[in-house]
Amino acid sequence: MKIERIQMENFRQYFGRQRMTFSRDRARNVTVIHGINGAGKSSLFLAINWCLYGEVSSNVGELISKEAVSRASDGEEIRASVELVFTHNSERYLVLRRLKGVKQEDGAIESGDEDFTMMRTRRDGQAERIANPIGVMNSILSSNVRTYFLFDGEKIDNFAKPEASDEVRYAIYNVLKLEVMTRARNHLQDIAAEYRRELKRVSTGELRQFVESEERAIAEKEKAHTRKEELEREIESARRKITDIDRRLREMPNASALQQRRDRLERDLEQREDEMTALISNIRTLATSGFTVIAQGAVERALAILDEKRERGEIPSSIRQQFVQDLIERLQCICGRRFDANGAEHEKLLALMNSSLPGSLEDDVMDTAAALRPFAERAGRLRDELNQRMQRRAELLDIMKSLEEEIDEVRDQLKGSPQEEISRLEEQRENFRADIESYRLEQGNCDTRIDLMSAELEELKKQIQVAKKEKKTERELTRKASLAQRAADAIGEVYETFADDMRRRIEAKTKEIFKLLVWKDSHFQDVRLGSDYNLEVIDRYGLPARPELSAGERQVLSLSFITAMSRVSEEEAPLVMDTPFGRLSSQHRNNITEHLPELADQLVLFVTDEELRDKARKNLEPRIGAEYRLTFDRKTSCTTIEEV
Amino acid sequence: MPETEVSRSDRVNIDESVMQTYKLLTESTSIEESPFGTYKDVFMFAASMGYAGGVRKKLPSGKKHTIRREVFSENDFLVLKTIAIAETGDVQVLLRLDEILTIAEEYAHAGIHALKARLLDQHGRPLWNLVEMVSS
Repeated sequence: MKIERIQMENFRQYFGRQRMTFSRDRARNVTVIHGINGAGKSSLFLAINWCLYGEVSSNVGELISKEAVSRASDGEEIRASVELVFTHNSERYLVLRRLKGVKQEDGAIESGDEDFTMMRTRRDGQAERIANPIGVMNSILSSNVRTYFLFDGEKIDNFAKPEASDEVRYAIYNVLKLEVMTRARNHLQDIAAEYRRELKRVSTGELRQFVESEERAIAEKEKAHTRKEELEREIESARRKITDIDRRLREMPNASALQQRRDRLERDLEQREDEMTALISNIRTLATSGFTVIAQGAVERALAILDEKRERGEIPSSIRQQFVQDLIERLQCICGRRFDANGAEHEKLLALMNSSLPGSLEDDVMDTAAALRPFAERAGRLRDELNQRMQRRAELLDIMKSLEEEIDEVRDQLKGSPQEEISRLEEQRENFRADIESYRLEQGNCDTRIDLMSAELEELKKQIQVAKKEKKTERELTRKASLAQRAADAIGEVYETFADDMRRRIEAKTKEIFKLLVWKDSHFQDVRLGSDYNLEVIDRYGLPARPELSAGERQVLSLSFITAMSRVSEEEAPLVMDTPFGRLSSQHRNNITEHLPELADQLVLFVTDEELRDKARKNLEPRIGAEYRLTFDRKTSCTTIEEV
Repeated sequence: MPETEVSRSDRVNIDESVMQTYKLLTESTSIEESPFGTYKDVFMFAASMGYAGGVRKKLPSGKKHTIRREVFSENDFLVLKTIAIAETGDVQVLLRLDEILTIAEEYAHAGIHALKARLLDQHGRPLWNLVEMVSS
């Protein structure tokens, strides 16, 4: 995960709408955000957390900007929102969390619904709604590991305290997804319990108020439709404005060449997108015919059965069933001799009849066998073709990416133009584009509501119909409950072994990083993470040195552990640190600033000026890709973001 | 054979309880999200995966969605026949359309969960998960 930009609206002291773009450059992967105490660093840090995961600790106060509240009239609805754009595994995501509140007569805010939307943006800019945003968010960066990637500098030494073994164990379990196994076990246990409950349950039939719910759902759905259309018009208008800006740029002598280049690039990109669409459709056709590959096992088995019949001489049979049947009916041999209905000849013919196949079946068998033989070859061909197409897709993605980069470059040049009008126009253009993205996001939100209401309506219909039917037998449920319980127990056993292996890998990595971060001629020898999950530093006498560790050393140990986990987990994740160096000595600071940028894919630092100066600042300098300053205005109690 | 005595329609049944998966795999406007064109296409994969996974599950009684027999192409039907031969070890099963369809339905009823796990419960998008599954 790499964070691209954040947009806050009426969030705490960020009044109105404010944006910040983070550096995602490989070489300059550091974004530094300066601010004195109280300037709004923690609020911004909180905004990221809240947007992605919602829950915030209880002491954070109101999330809605007080300034926005004071400007609102009684009964007016106020919204606070945070929108984050990030990339993950080369996909681009947009996440929006919104809180609504209504101002009361006494000036207080009654907070209303909070909603959470996640979109994946396609290359054409169209946003595509994700049906289970919480699940997808958790698969990208799980909520219970976020404190290790988005972490508060004040809690930095948490892992190196003598009593921290539980925290360490918990962190390892979560970051390395060992927790998945615990969850599987708990899940199975829950299922077992659920079955047991169901055993007792007696159905209750409350077949009322459904009509009322239905009416409400229909109205809500209608509302969402209307809003969606409204947004479409907004998008259209923003698009027209962009076209207009493009035209003006084309007419300006100092921008004309760049704008024309952008026109070409955008046309080229559009063509590539069309090619991509066609390619994807082609891949889809191939892939959905791939069940024959999956059925290969059945094909081989069936062919073996058919071949065995052939080897045994049963097919093609030498005598047709119809022929034998005629003899039996006439009770006469082909030589003319008659035989008895109970005689040996009759019996022999009956046996022959039973062992041979009917003629139609025989043909069917032969046809089937013939049709199945080319299957294996066809499966191979299908795979080859798919691989070819997938390769082309990768090529196309690269081409499109570089086109996009070129377009970005044009944008940067226009934005940086010394001619103020040009840079102003380009900035407006970018704002319109961001607006369109926000509108798309909200449209996606409308779609969610529409889908939700449609599903609810369908569900209501079913509820009415079903109401009271079907009961499972007690025996079946009991059997399921015991099966689930046994499976849960088995998973518990596997889990212990796996956890141990992970612990050892983290130990090795922590040691490596700790060595890098503490000064060279230190007297420490080793870092140990024992089966008791205590994080120990071993001194040159081979003894645990923790009692003598300074506060700074403890913090570095903690930091080493955190970065070790993120490396071992192989997650592409940002490291977002709120005032990380405040409590470190300058020597530690210098060491850390020298190495930290290479230990994280993206590094976002919230710092005070005291924290980052002299050598520490110089160390970071070549890695800084973006830098901001937060300024808190006492008169308005609002914070503004300025690019440095 | 009891299967031949019990008459059943020649439509293919899908239990209502798994229809959500069929819908998710066909209904979105994005090909990448819903790679399949029809329920029948999903059914063919589900049946093949059911057989490959060796799990066959009887359909519970209750509401069903049905697919008409004519929707299946000759090639589709060939695969269903193949599964029936492989399952019973008996070529005579070709004479019993009912049994062929029942076997396919029961494998599909189990296989649809495997298909869901491979396509929908992963982080990647369903189409790419499908390509991965078919080409690996």
